[in-house]
Amino acid sequence: MATPDRPVARAIRKEKRFRPLGLTADTAIRRFFQGNAAFAILALVLIMVFLLREGAGFFGQNSRGIRVYRLAGLEYVDILKAQLDRHAELTRAANALRLKIFSGALAKGTAPEAASASLAGFDAFAEALGDASEDVRSLASDLTEQAAAVKQREQIYQDSIEQKAMLIRAGKAGEAAAVPSVAVDFSSEVKALLASLPVYKDANRLFAKKLSAALGMVGPQSVPAAWIPQLSGLKAATERYAATFPAVEAKLAAWRYDAPVPWYRAVTAFLFGRQWLTASFWQDWYGILPLFFGSLLVSLIALLIAVPLGVVAAIYVSEVAGTGEKTWIKPAIEFIAAIPSVVLGFFGVAILGQSLRAVSETSWLSWVPGFPMSERLNAFTAGCLLAFMAIPTIFSLAEDALTNVPRHFKEASFALGATRLQTILRVLVPASLSGLISAILLGFGRVIGETMVVLLCAGNRIAIPDFTEGLGAFFQPVHTMTGIIAQEMGEVVPGSIHYRALFMVGIMLFLLALGINYVAQRVVQRYRISIG
Amino acid sequence: MKPSILLTAVAALALTSSFAYGGKLVIKGSDTLGAKLVPQLAEAFKAVNPDTSFEIAAEGSTTGIAAVIDGTAQVGMSSRHAKATEISAATAKGVDLKPVTVCYDGLAIVVHGQNPLKSLTKKQVEQIFAGDITDWSAVGGKPGKISIYTRNTSSGTYSDFKELAMKKRDYAGSSQKMAGNEQIAAEVGKNINGIGYVGLAYVNAEGVQVLPVDGALPSPESLRSGAYPYSRPTFYYTNGEPQGEAKAFVDFTLSPKGQAIVGQVGFVGLK
Repeated sequence: MATPDRPVARAIRKEKRFRPLGLTADTAIRRFFQGNAAFAILALVLIMVFLLREGAGFFGQNSRGIRVYRLAGLEYVDILKAQLDRHAELTRAANALRLKIFSGALAKGTAPEAASASLAGFDAFAEALGDASEDVRSLASDLTEQAAAVKQREQIYQDSIEQKAMLIRAGKAGEAAAVPSVAVDFSSEVKALLASLPVYKDANRLFAKKLSAALGMVGPQSVPAAWIPQLSGLKAATERYAATFPAVEAKLAAWRYDAPVPWYRAVTAFLFGRQWLTASFWQDWYGILPLFFGSLLVSLIALLIAVPLGVVAAIYVSEVAGTGEKTWIKPAIEFIAAIPSVVLGFFGVAILGQSLRAVSETSWLSWVPGFPMSERLNAFTAGCLLAFMAIPTIFSLAEDALTNVPRHFKEASFALGATRLQTILRVLVPASLSGLISAILLGFGRVIGETMVVLLCAGNRIAIPDFTEGLGAFFQPVHTMTGIIAQEMGEVVPGSIHYRALFMVGIMLFLLALGINYVAQRVVQRYRISIG
Repeated sequence: MKPSILLTAVAALALTSSFAYGGKLVIKGSDTLGAKLVPQLAEAFKAVNPDTSFEIAAEGSTTGIAAVIDGTAQVGMSSRHAKATEISAATAKGVDLKPVTVCYDGLAIVVHGQNPLKSLTKKQVEQIFAGDITDWSAVGGKPGKISIYTRNTSSGTYSDFKELAMKKRDYAGSSQKMAGNEQIAAEVGKNINGIGYVGLAYVNAEGVQVLPVDGALPSPESLRSGAYPYSRPTFYYTNGEPQGEAKAFVDFTLSPKGQAIVGQVGFVGLK
């Protein structure tokens, strides 16, 4: 009998284990995986700490900014300016009305000269209306300069303090002492502003008198009969406006430069501020609402387009399509995700925007609100491209959700005699609803965080969309939270309030994305297989 | 998409291909100067001094001045004077910011090529950009809602225009912020109701026309004589008197040859 070449005992004898750092192979591998997971979490924590550290200083700076706004009397002057702004609106309304009447007359075949001549009465009224504010306006412009100068001096004083601190830190105490630095005495500065109140009251009385004189210049005879209701509307608005004057005076009289600014003002001014106004010679405002609504509007448009397309495509691929079709439809849709967003943005600027506007200018589409588009780069252009980017996300997740519905659901439905359509709509979609909702939410997260496309194609107008135009708001240019960071971060001075405000916008985006993801996960966990 | 990114890439390419022993000059700052003028000056300069290589980044005046203060650039391009805060930050770091006037730039008011309007007054320009006037018919044009295009908020031109043309008032809320001169020209060229302002180097963009303001068109003569209201000087900022490569380049810019390039690119030379 042949003996084996090696003794059995030797073949199965264990090699002496190599144990670096006293770890067995198993624990080493475990630690390796653990380490990788921990690294991701650590990076997340570091990012949050960084964002918070850079952004946290914002509220302090914003609060100081608002305090100086009050101390230097800018707030006082803004009460006046608000009154003048409302007057400017009235003038614009008058001009718009004149334009409508004028073009109406032209459309009826009246010669331009004759149409102008018939509006002479109205023109006299419009001119008198526009000029009525003259005295108040010139006063406001004087006060603007005064207050801006006070603010400027305060700014110089703050700079000098900063400069001293920097010099002292650099060990140049002698030079620091030589820096001139004069604190601003706000109470005496503001007294000069407040002393103008009697002058203002006189000017205001004159303003009101001129307004009523202007109103007397125009009557039903001044415009064609069809426009009389509009004219009386304008006159009524003017009367209502004149009636607000005593309230403005009372407000000015009650204003105190040293009234404390509540601590929450800096927060509410950011979260509910309707203006994002930077590099202003007057007063910077960092209100997130215009950007938030911009982001939301663009995302909404994107989802309105992407959700039906993505979900229906998912239903088709998972339930209806044959294997042959499946093998190319799925990769094709998922390939969309591989297109770089800057390429899509460039496509939007170069082609899509222009084409959409050309379409909007065709006459048979003029019933659509907002058409013809006045801007080729607007929320809708950006929304279309974002929809394209969200489709793969929504499609993949929705398809997974549909595939995860247990097979016996479908079989039971067929066994009961349901058609395929009934099965899809009554069984599969409800059963996978939680998955579909989370797919949509994650698509939303994808869209709201997208930057390049909105920066290039959304039109970058920093204003809350005018929702009074209804669906027309879809075709207005907007600016977004992501876009503003990309556009302004490169050029702000690090550490300035503008810089920190951009970080705060980043934090808001982060929280928003976190919230969306959290909700999406909860939906999946809580309502998994909601029927059955 | 900013021209500056492209420029940086071109500059980086130029760097890798240039001789290793050449001096390197880092220039950062204003898009107005850095998009066309300074790269062309750099090319001409290199023709004479082949050993010098350039790194040019045009991301706005603020970055340029900050880069000189931080010592990351030898020359900062700026379309505005340094702010008080910037000067104090520089002093604290022992940096002596020194401006050299390079040339004058005018801001031209551009509208769509088919806009029938033939001129505007200073007052009308102010009212349009501040949002007092929102329809072309109010300034004697064809009725249509005015679309305003401005530079983005951190650009030197953004605040320059407010100072030059708008009595320091703020832009209308409906204004759209564009990343550069070229983008403004492109949007105005595509929008019949558009209006914007661009540096003189961009007035020949496709589809736009320049409107005279108070009867004066921006031209070298009207800028130097002050007849055209919206003009401003542009600067190089250096740490103290420029040294070495930087000095050679600044001198070159101010030389007749450099100033000739200034004129070719569309700016207005000092003389």
